[in-house]
This record gives sequence, C-alpha cells and structure tokens, in this order.
Amino acid sequence: MGFLTVLKKMRQKEKEMRILLLGLDNAGKTTILKRFNGEPIDTISPTLGFNIKTLEHKGYTLNLWDVGGQKSLRSYWRNYFESTDGLVWVVDSADRMRLDACREELNILLLEERLAGATLLVLANKQDLPGALSAQEIKDILELDKITTHHWSVVGVSAVTGDKLLNAVDWLIGDIAKRIFTLD
Amino acid sequence: MIFLKNFFNSLYLFFRPLIKWFLHRFTNLCELQRLCYGAHSGYKRCKLVERSLNLSKKSQIKHLVYCLNDLTSHPMSDSQIQSEIVDRAINTVLLVKKINPKYHPGFPPSFGRCVEAIYGYRRLVTIIEDLRLEQYDPNSEVHERKLMALWHNLMPDVKLEGRITKQWQEIGFQGDDPGTDFRGMGMLGLENLLYFSREYPGTARHLLCHSQHPKYGYTFAVVGINITHMAWRLLKEGHAKAHFYNLLRTGTRGYPTLEQFHQFYCYLFYEFDSFWINAKPDNLMQFNNVQDKFERTIRKVSDRENCLFKMNLSVENV
Repeated sequence: MGFLTVLKKMRQKEKEMRILLLGLDNAGKTTILKRFNGEPIDTISPTLGFNIKTLEHKGYTLNLWDVGGQKSLRSYWRNYFESTDGLVWVVDSADRMRLDACREELNILLLEERLAGATLLVLANKQDLPGALSAQEIKDILELDKITTHHWSVVGVSAVTGDKLLNAVDWLIGDIAKRIFTLD
Repeated sequence: MIFLKNFFNSLYLFFRPLIKWFLHRFTNLCELQRLCYGAHSGYKRCKLVERSLNLSKKSQIKHLVYCLNDLTSHPMSDSQIQSEIVDRAINTVLLVKKINPKYHPGFPPSFGRCVEAIYGYRRLVTIIEDLRLEQYDPNSEVHERKLMALWHNLMPDVKLEGRITKQWQEIGFQGDDPGTDFRGMGMLGLENLLYFSREYPGTARHLLCHSQHPKYGYTFAVVGINITHMAWRLLKEGHAKAHFYNLLRTGTRGYPTLEQFHQFYCYLFYEFDSFWINAKPDNLMQFNNVQDKFERTIRKVSDRENCLFKMNLSVENV
C-alpha cells in the first residue's frame, strides 16, 4: 500500500457527516429516518431515547441521529449537539395548534453554540395530509427569513409517500460538502 | 457453525423420505401418528406436527395446508375453527394416510388438538394484525370512550379537565393529545393498556407509581405502546409459539385467544418494569438499550420447549 493510498483511505474516512433529526413529538422523525433507509414505516411506535442509522449516500457516510421529541426528552437533545454537520428540523405541517411551540423550540436550538456551523434543513412534513400547510406558509410562521446564522432551506415533503424527501436531503448533503470538503 | 447446520439440515431432508418409509414399514404408523403418540403434548408435539404437515409431499396434504393458511389469514369466527379447520384436517389426513379411526381411536382427537393450536395461533396473528391496523380515530365515539376509560382506570380519583390537556402526561403520554401516540400500533396499543388497567388495576397503578419515580421514572403509556410493539413482534415472528401452545394445556379452549395475548402483554409490561428499575438507567434516553436487553432475555426463554410465562400478581391485592 502506497503513501497515496493511505492518504486516500484517510480522506474517505473523513467523508462522514453527522446529521441530527429533531422536532416536536409526532413530527415524523423516525418515519423519515426509516423511509430514507428503506425500512417499513407502518410499525413505528413513539421514540423513547434515540435511533441511529449509518448509511451510504452519494459517496458519503451519513450518521443519522433521530432523538425522541416529547417534552421530557428535549432537555437531553444537547447531549447530541457535538460536531453536528447538519440539523434537520422536522415539522408536522398539519398540526397548526403547535406551530408556535415549534418555532420557539427551533429558536432555542439556533442559539446553541455547538450547532453554530451546522446547515439547517426544515422539512415541512405530512404534505400528504389534507389541511397541511405549504412549505411557504411554514417558512412564514417559523420566521425562517430572520435566520442569518445558518445556511437553511425549507422543503415540503411527505415521509409516507417519500415525496421530495430525497431532493431535500441531497440539498443538505451538497451544502455540507461545499463547506467541509471544499479541498476535494 | 451455520454452514454445518445447513449441511445437516439438507442431509436430513434428503434422507427424510427413506427414514419415513423405514419407520412406517416397521411401526405400521405414519409420521403424524408417531408424533401424536410419541411426542410430549404442548409445544413440542405441535411444532413437529406443523413441520411434518409443511414438509409433506402428498398433493392432498399440500392442498390442505394451503387452504388452512388461506382461511386463517382472514377473519373467522370461533365456531368455524372446529368445522372449517379441525374436522377438515382430520378427515383429509385419515383419508390420505388410510388410517382407520376404529383401530386408532386416540389419533383424531390428539391430531385435532395440534391442528387447532397451530392454526389457532395463525388466526390470532390475523386478529392482532387487524387490530393494529385500525388507526386511532378521534372522531370515533368508541375509540374516544376507550381512551377515557383508560384514564378512569388509572386515575380514578382525578377528573380529566378536557380532551386535550396536559394531564395526559401524568399517565405517560407524550403531549396534550394522546391520540397521536398510538401510531403504528393503532388500537392494539390502546386495547392492551385498557385491558391491563381494567383487569389488573392494582398492578397497573403500582407500575404507574413506579413510572413517576424521580430517578428511574419512565413515561407509562408510551412505554406501554412500545411493549405492545415488542409483544406483536414476538407473536408475529413465531417466538411466542411455545408459550401459547403450552398455555392451551391449562385452559378450556383449544386455540389461543385475544385475551391470552392481552395477558401475555401484561406479563411483559410487568417484567419490563422490574427489569428497568434493576438496570438503574441514567435517564429515559437509555430506553432502547434496556429494552433490547430485555427483549433478548425474553427471546432466550421463549424459545425453550417448556416455556410458559406466568404473571406474578403479588402486587394485585396490596
């Protein structure tokens, strides 16, 4: 094994991204994780604690962390912030009652120092449900335009049908890659 | 190891007809008869009969197995089990194997009990699956009434202030509306919790009390739904067969019932509670870890031939 091969191997190892999925309970974080990983999504129960999935996508190794969203678990979210490259904020677009709570939780996260460098992807999930707000409306209610500290994007998706999910994740990966692997 | 196991298995399958012919010739009994007379009743006999039926090369038996599988994958009433499944299987086997019930009076009832257990289990899987696929619907009066009954059973002295309220978190739902917590477990999750709180109110409240422990607390209802998930997995993957087949020896019915599944759930929930407290977890984030260990322990026991889970109800009368 030559010196260059060793270098190349090391570089491949670095092509890892750590992505954190957060959001209120019943937003659909686990469903998104399973859908993305090609697992069945009809037998999900509420997440207590967290799930981790490692998968290869577009030549990158993605470490996806899905942490439970219920109120009593949110204080533990901080334990997962370290060296996060991408933050996926999942929103239940049909749950209009809790969008204010959703905005408040997101704003608290964005102040977090350890998430300062992370790219933010807001997924306006459950677009398949009647009465779901569009990505544009979610953007306005969550006041995403005010965010200047992070690269961000908002996409309307449906984890159940898989609609637009892949495009959204591709954007996230592209943005992270531009930032951390620019030397390639 | 796996290679060796596969090797011996295919070797066995290759010589199986020869062994069967030899034994048939010298005992004058077909394989099903030998099993029904020789193997211990309960899980062992049912398991071997099930395998014998599934491996049979006779076209009539193959057709029988196909029909029974098809029948039990649709809803069917209790009375149909005897006529559509048991009688049919006995008649076919007597005919195909040329067994005269006059000379072998012990065979039909013994074989019938095995068939009833095997296909009763498959029918139970269908019943449970239908219940799971029934989504919780806040517009359904029946569903809402069941949810209210759950509150009443667990918190008889506290009045619920409204349908959407923070109070639900006291019994361990995630937020103000429990309707969103059943998810993939559907009505099965609610029915399990309801059965537990109705039939064993003392034990259920005792566990609820544990779940509010300042250090080792957990969210009662949501953990309950996760236990439903586990019970469903064990049933569906066939790891609960030993328990349910053995259970039939003690009861009056020859096939497993929904109620017995609820009791299996209660057992798992009760045992999980002690397992969780003994594990001394740092916080609720350890749940998956502890649950995995718990499930592995249960699976180890549930695959044993004499497995029979019995709930220790010492708390019920306190």
